[in-house]
Amino acid sequence: MSCGREQKSVFSCLALIAAGLLFFSPSPVHAAEEFSFDVDELEKKNFEWGGYAELKWEHMYLNEGSAFEILNPSKPSGSTLDRLSGTLQIDGSYLGGITSLNWTLKASGQQDNLDWYDQADIFEAYVGLKPTPRLAASLGKKSYKWGKGYAWNPAGFLNRPKDPDDPEEALEGYTTVELDLVKSFAGKLQTAALTTVILPVWNEINEEFGEINNVNLAVKLYLLYKDTDIDLIYYTGNSRSSRYGLDFAKNLAANFEIHGELAYLPNQETFVLQKDGSTLLRERSALSGLIGLRYLSENNITSIIEYYHNDSGYSTGEMDRFYQLVVEGENQLYSSGSDLLLDQARDVSRKGYGRPQSGRNYLYGRFTQQEPFDILYFTPGLITIYNLDDLSFSISPEILYTGFTNWEMRLRCTFREGSSFTEYDEKLTHSKLELRLRYFF
Amino acid sequence: MLCRQLSKTVSKAILLAVLSSCFLISGALALDGNEILRQVDRNMQPESYEMYRKLINIEPDGKKKEFVFYTIKKGLDKVVALFLSPASEKGRATLRLGDNMWLYIPNVGKPLRITSLQSVVGGIFNNSDILRLDYQVEYDVEKITDQEESFLLKLKAKSTSVAYDRLEMKVDKKNLLPTTIECYAISGMLIKTLHYTKIEDFGDGVVRPSMLETDSPLNKGYRSVMIFAKVRKKELADEVFTLNYMPRVHELR
Repeated sequence: MSCGREQKSVFSCLALIAAGLLFFSPSPVHAAEEFSFDVDELEKKNFEWGGYAELKWEHMYLNEGSAFEILNPSKPSGSTLDRLSGTLQIDGSYLGGITSLNWTLKASGQQDNLDWYDQADIFEAYVGLKPTPRLAASLGKKSYKWGKGYAWNPAGFLNRPKDPDDPEEALEGYTTVELDLVKSFAGKLQTAALTTVILPVWNEINEEFGEINNVNLAVKLYLLYKDTDIDLIYYTGNSRSSRYGLDFAKNLAANFEIHGELAYLPNQETFVLQKDGSTLLRERSALSGLIGLRYLSENNITSIIEYYHNDSGYSTGEMDRFYQLVVEGENQLYSSGSDLLLDQARDVSRKGYGRPQSGRNYLYGRFTQQEPFDILYFTPGLITIYNLDDLSFSISPEILYTGFTNWEMRLRCTFREGSSFTEYDEKLTHSKLELRLRYFF
Repeated sequence: MLCRQLSKTVSKAILLAVLSSCFLISGALALDGNEILRQVDRNMQPESYEMYRKLINIEPDGKKKEFVFYTIKKGLDKVVALFLSPASEKGRATLRLGDNMWLYIPNVGKPLRITSLQSVVGGIFNNSDILRLDYQVEYDVEKITDQEESFLLKLKAKSTSVAYDRLEMKVDKKNLLPTTIECYAISGMLIKTLHYTKIEDFGDGVVRPSMLETDSPLNKGYRSVMIFAKVRKKELADEVFTLNYMPRVHELR
């Protein structure tokens, strides 16, 4: 990236943030001093639905010559890429006695300099049965977000991978049968809950979870013991290797929370690129973990900091080998016109090297200040993800404003930095400007 | 000699009587204060109940934003608040079990621990205001002052996990309901003042203020108002106040 372009992108970002600040500053609205509350308007209905519509504009500066820019089959002309996308999420439920129908549907379409892309998914669609407060069962597609980590969940064995840049977004579920038993107690053990999930993997059902023609079992025992959340998690089945998990969360003070996760996979399989260019399916035990905190300072800054060790990730040496393969593939393409090595690199990328946070040790930080300068519903923030092994990082300042009822506006810039052959230097884009507008209904 | 012994004995007896009186008087005051606080708690909210609340944040220029939530409470330390409106907050639920607090956001799909000093709605009301436990759970009465038509109770937090270190509560003598509560930080700084008004008969013996207004010297010109409706006794299972139940609290309405 040239220095001039970097300055330009920083300037654009700052100018937009300044414009956003001006635009979102409170405007005078005078109202009569009368308060009314008609509860009957909120009468409970059996059928309820809602959701949001979203419009998002992204302006991306491409990282020309980076590994993932070279591997990208569709090459835009120029050094920038603009993308406009629209998303509609509709969720709802129908309640009839002890039975309920629940659903979350999501559809999106996006247009960038190159192409139009759209998709529609059923994120959740399940029948729930709740005969007593202590017992609940469900059948159908349901989203799982086990674990206490904010950015990562090594113990979330049924979770879809989430985007640490947007960890609060809805995720697609799996088709399961679930039984949930809960019991409250007086004393040091306040709650015990046992969640049992049966997850089949057959043709057209949960195929992306793992090996097909298997029925998998996951069990989670939750305890609230001495004011500490504790989860003991076990997964077994032939779609993936068996695994054991543990997580905890506890408030140490009125403004301080700690949480952590531990996951042990005795037979974790990983595709590893060999020196001769072949791939090997490596099987070894992996112990991954996360430790994090949430702290609210006196000046109303909430800090979420997490350290994540991904024992199944790739070492810097293994990643170097992958980046080297891409360089050799590009040289081969220019010298002989053959894209044999590039195709091999794309295959390796799909098998694990190309997934987000494919390394071993990360630090995540999210810092937000609620309502600074007495501006209600205004939250500036900063998100950073740091690869502790290759010392590359991404940093994203953002502003969020929710002052207009049912509207949410977010402006975010993302910068990625690192030396050559590091995770964040080899990404497709090195900086991005994003404006997101959401309307809830 | 005898005289000296007698005077010594009399002195000891007088000293013992004075000390005993002091002890008994202070004990009686503490008992009275805590008893008044218990009465205030019972008058403000039944042991196990449901209610609806509207929270209005008012900015200095008059701009308002409203939130409506359904609340259930059981015993001394179990509270759940479910947001019903606006649509952007609908389905969010907050659970409090003693000092533990969690926030469930439907999109996030799992309860996250939150702290009492944060605010899930913005404005002057923080999480501990929205998920308020009985005062007697979190505070001891340190001092009680008789002020003709009201009692002034000076309350001290039982632990450091409580949002406000001290409260000064003015209680109306006639109905044993609070009228004004000043909330102080551990540093002694006034954080906010709560004003209870508009006493209403909600039925079933529940007679209490239907409006709570708050202002803060830290947020000059900003106010928050809470309106209470349909405060009713309700029998609830303990299991309703668990993380597993948070996604389905709306089914209790």
